[in-house]
Amino acid sequence: MTPRSQGPLARLYGGFGLSGPVALLLALAAIAVPWLPGKFWTHVGTEVLILGLFAMSFNLLYGYMGQISFGHAAFFGVGAYATAMLFTALKDADGQIGVGAFLLSLVVGPPVAALAAIVVGFFCVRLTGIYFAILTLAFGELLFYIVFSWYSFTKGDDGIQGLLPPPFFQDPTNFYFFTLAIVVLALAAMWRITESPFGYAMRTLRDNQRRAAFLGTSVRAHMLANFVIAGTFAGLAGALWGPFSRSVNPVLLGWGESGIAVFMTLIGGGGSFIGPMLGSVIYTMLQAVVKMYTVYWPLTIGIIILLIVLFAPGGILGLIDRRIRAARDRQ
Amino acid sequence: MSRTILQVVNLEKHFGGVHVAKTINYAMEEGEQSAIIGPNGAGKSTFMNLLTGYHRPDGGKVVFDSHDITGMPPHKVVRRGISRAFQVSSIFTQMTVCENVRAAVQAQMRVTLQLFASGRRLGAEETERVLALCGLEGKRDLAAGALAQGDKKRLELAIALAGKPRLLLLDEPTAGMSIDEARSTMALVDRLNRELNVTVLFTEHDMGIVFNHARRLTLLHRGEVILDDTPEKVRADATAQRVYLGEHHL
Amino acid sequence: MDDFAPYALQLFSGLSRAMVLFLLSAGLSLIFGVMNILNFAHATLWLVSGYVTFSIFAFLSQQFGASPWLLVPAVAGAVLLMALFGFALERLLIRHTYERELPEQLLLTFALVLILGDMIKLIWGLENRRINLGVQPVEMLGTLVNPYQFVIIGTGVAVAAGLWLFLHRTRLGKIVRAAVYSRNMVSALGIPIPTIYALVFALGVGLAALAGGVFLPLLPMALGVDLDIIVQCFAVVVIGGFGSMLGTFVASIIVGVVYAFSILFWPDGALAMIFLIVIAVLIWRPWGLFGTELRY
Repeated sequence: MTPRSQGPLARLYGGFGLSGPVALLLALAAIAVPWLPGKFWTHVGTEVLILGLFAMSFNLLYGYMGQISFGHAAFFGVGAYATAMLFTALKDADGQIGVGAFLLSLVVGPPVAALAAIVVGFFCVRLTGIYFAILTLAFGELLFYIVFSWYSFTKGDDGIQGLLPPPFFQDPTNFYFFTLAIVVLALAAMWRITESPFGYAMRTLRDNQRRAAFLGTSVRAHMLANFVIAGTFAGLAGALWGPFSRSVNPVLLGWGESGIAVFMTLIGGGGSFIGPMLGSVIYTMLQAVVKMYTVYWPLTIGIIILLIVLFAPGGILGLIDRRIRAARDRQ
Repeated sequence: MSRTILQVVNLEKHFGGVHVAKTINYAMEEGEQSAIIGPNGAGKSTFMNLLTGYHRPDGGKVVFDSHDITGMPPHKVVRRGISRAFQVSSIFTQMTVCENVRAAVQAQMRVTLQLFASGRRLGAEETERVLALCGLEGKRDLAAGALAQGDKKRLELAIALAGKPRLLLLDEPTAGMSIDEARSTMALVDRLNRELNVTVLFTEHDMGIVFNHARRLTLLHRGEVILDDTPEKVRADATAQRVYLGEHHL
Repeated sequence: MDDFAPYALQLFSGLSRAMVLFLLSAGLSLIFGVMNILNFAHATLWLVSGYVTFSIFAFLSQQFGASPWLLVPAVAGAVLLMALFGFALERLLIRHTYERELPEQLLLTFALVLILGDMIKLIWGLENRRINLGVQPVEMLGTLVNPYQFVIIGTGVAVAAGLWLFLHRTRLGKIVRAAVYSRNMVSALGIPIPTIYALVFALGVGLAALAGGVFLPLLPMALGVDLDIIVQCFAVVVIGGFGSMLGTFVASIIVGVVYAFSILFWPDGALAMIFLIVIAVLIWRPWGLFGTELRY
């Protein structure tokens, strides 16, 4: 066990796992994006960040707690609607909104999503595995139908349109950097949480729930806390979505949207902290490109998922991580 | 003077039509080190499950340290000071050895709801102490799932110890271990009992270990306490010979 | 009697819907019970078989002249083709996921949903497909009822009875039931497990194909319907209890009828009602109304 001389990259790997170097690369890419010609990639980049944050919030449940939720988009959608409704209420007659009011409408998304997560989570944390998956699906769909059919409150099927942010934020580059700042802060908070005693307690729940209870950990209380944290970050991502796409609609709460978080996480790798964000980069950019050439996007992503499940379980980062470990073991 | 730390009164449990705990009465003094023996299916593991709240008793009472803990969920029982190690090693397979123990230490410190503290630093010293005590320092960074069978059982014990128990329940602590590993594990158990005054209750199939390390034996047969005495008396008892010891050709 | 008319209409439509759900959920439940795989693509396979039935029916009509009876060979052909397809699917793809984690299993079958959905688009285009049998509605309980609904209800009941006989009276059926409880037991019987798995999967897909075929004269097959139906099937399986055929049958009727009646009172909320039932069951009895607390 003689200490080996380590390069900076190896030290980064030691402290953060594969997430260290990958996050560094993603950060460099994130700064470079707005300098690409045209606004298209800046727009796609913003989408990558928002959906990536959403997927990473999902991974707090999947990668760290070991439960798969098919209703996580409910909190993304509730956050989006909370922001959109306050936004609409604060708009003046010309449809303009001040910077303060705009920021206020963003702030309300996460806590409202957290409230919804407390109610839904209270029931869901009683179950695990396939039952947890289906109960989250059922709650998500229930919320979807409530938003869908409560026209007087949510505008139902039509959704809420005209979420035009203040002039400064209408510029794609400005909005991109604004989103980047918020997402980086959120990721820093999530990193702290996953590396806290709470984060490690989550890993014990993932690996062996019965044993975790015999450490003195209250399984339900901890699962509920994590469910609410994950819902809050999903709500933050949702809050950003409305001003980004200028509208919200009930589909944001549906299980198709939940599926996006699942796909991104599985592609990037749920075993790494940064995996879902990498998944979002791949998924969102690929979608942007593929949709330019063909309407058969589902076929494309279906084949990709099939290949990942068959040949790269644990996602891309899982695959690389196994290679690195294997190379180390040979040394 | 030692005092009663565990008192079990008229404990009953049925699984479907099977009576797995028949009016069990049992008590332990603080600082005792005792064993429960009996053939397979005698109800040894069930008894431990009933003590720790994994199964809810149909009747009777479990009193630990003058608190009624009957029917309490496991995490509350554990917080009162009972730890257990499982027969089939029950560890956190995707976490490293060090993380396994540290998570147990942090659960004992009741800090697992701290969201922004450092999970790597809190309880790190205590973790090192437990790792050293169980001889696992050299394996600290290995994934628990990749350990050899004997090391898994040792980690199992380390996790139980991290809970700073006053009563330690060990379900076949040396199963799957080599003779050397078993010897050092039981030596550690003896040390905990003598130096830290941890009350120990264990089950074991190896009669050599039972007679060397338990100061009192309880023979369970079909969910019933048949005999509860010193190892010498149990060894000499005819009933014990017939229902259990006989098959071990002592 | 007139006041009862709209309810009778909903009752018949609810029951025929229930039978389609049963045919699908029975396979879903059997596959889950035996292989522990939740097949997301089950309703998509059902949708595919609807299109296949349509094509066979169209081909036969061209060859022999239109007749409603051509539906029988069309359905039979589709069931056979789809069962073979199911067998191949299990051998080529599904079997690679038995040792995997739940999410990866779900993802694989969900990938099939996306792929098969687009394959339909590629082969049959965006147009909805429907078979018009030209059957005249008959008057019953003060309302006009499509008599074909009785064909569907009859098929459902017959299949339920047939499945029960298969599972309880035949050697293979008993082995399949045993596999739900213990895989080791089945290997002890000397039957190769992979064969059982492939057969069960083929049987499940065959039942789905039957549902797709008989459904066709009632409602059009359209892209995306499979997603609506699969969540209802999940609802059925959860309410009835995984692995319980009786539970699946009863839950199909509950879901079908509740769905049909909700349309009268809260058209947008029909599915919401079903999810409410699912939530209630999962909280109160996670193993379902007729399931046993085995796996939990």
